[in-house]
Amino acid sequence: MVELAMGIMLGLCGVGAGIALIAGIGPGIGEGQAVAAACEAIGRQPEAKSDVTSTMVMGCAIAETTGLYGLIIGILLIFVAPGIYSGVLRDTVAALK
Amino acid sequence: MSRLDPTVKKETAYAALWVTALSLIMEAVFLIGDWWTPAVLLGNMAGAVTAVLNYLLLGITVAKAVSGPAEKAPLKVRSSMTARLLGQAAVVAVAIGVFHTNVYATLLPLLFPRIGIAFRPMIDRKRGKTAVEPEGSDLLD
Repeated sequence: MVELAMGIMLGLCGVGAGIALIAGIGPGIGEGQAVAAACEAIGRQPEAKSDVTSTMVMGCAIAETTGLYGLIIGILLIFVAPGIYSGVLRDTVAALK
Repeated sequence: MSRLDPTVKKETAYAALWVTALSLIMEAVFLIGDWWTPAVLLGNMAGAVTAVLNYLLLGITVAKAVSGPAEKAPLKVRSSMTARLLGQAAVVAVAIGVFHTNVYATLLPLLFPRIGIAFRPMIDRKRGKTAVEPEGSDLLD
């Protein structure tokens, strides 16, 4: 029974990590649209290229943070959560006995 | 090989400076808290190098995308972002899984460039720099 619970818990950690990484899709789409708009802006004002590029790099880095949060949650769910949850499970089983 | 855009160089140097400073602070916190092990230093180095490299690649991609046609830019940036995110995931997973680095010391430096950007307006204001205003914006006042 404990093995089954452990298996379900590990499986759910993996599923959770997969779902967390979905957060990486949104920023990519947003960044793409922002850069396309930046291209048009540079087309209108070529002298502002340096400023637009600088702002775009910072803006894209900020947008990417959302994806990074997902990545960090995913990594924590894979490497840290199973250890913590299996400890909790073992303690609970020991307390019930 | 084409030369690196000066704006990208400047932005990456700024991010690298922040990553280095915050990494030192993080190491100090680990030392003070008596949690420091060589795995922390190794993880910090892996995370910091990944974060700066990611920022550099982002800058190169953006600089290339804004120089090209607007129709191709979204696809370029999207594919670059996916590749960079997967690359970061792979580096972090290998560092933690194979080299047994400290998980938190490996993951935290990935967010350090973002912290540097958050302080950017404050630094620019101190230097007396202002954002570029579009033509005719004074008419709105």
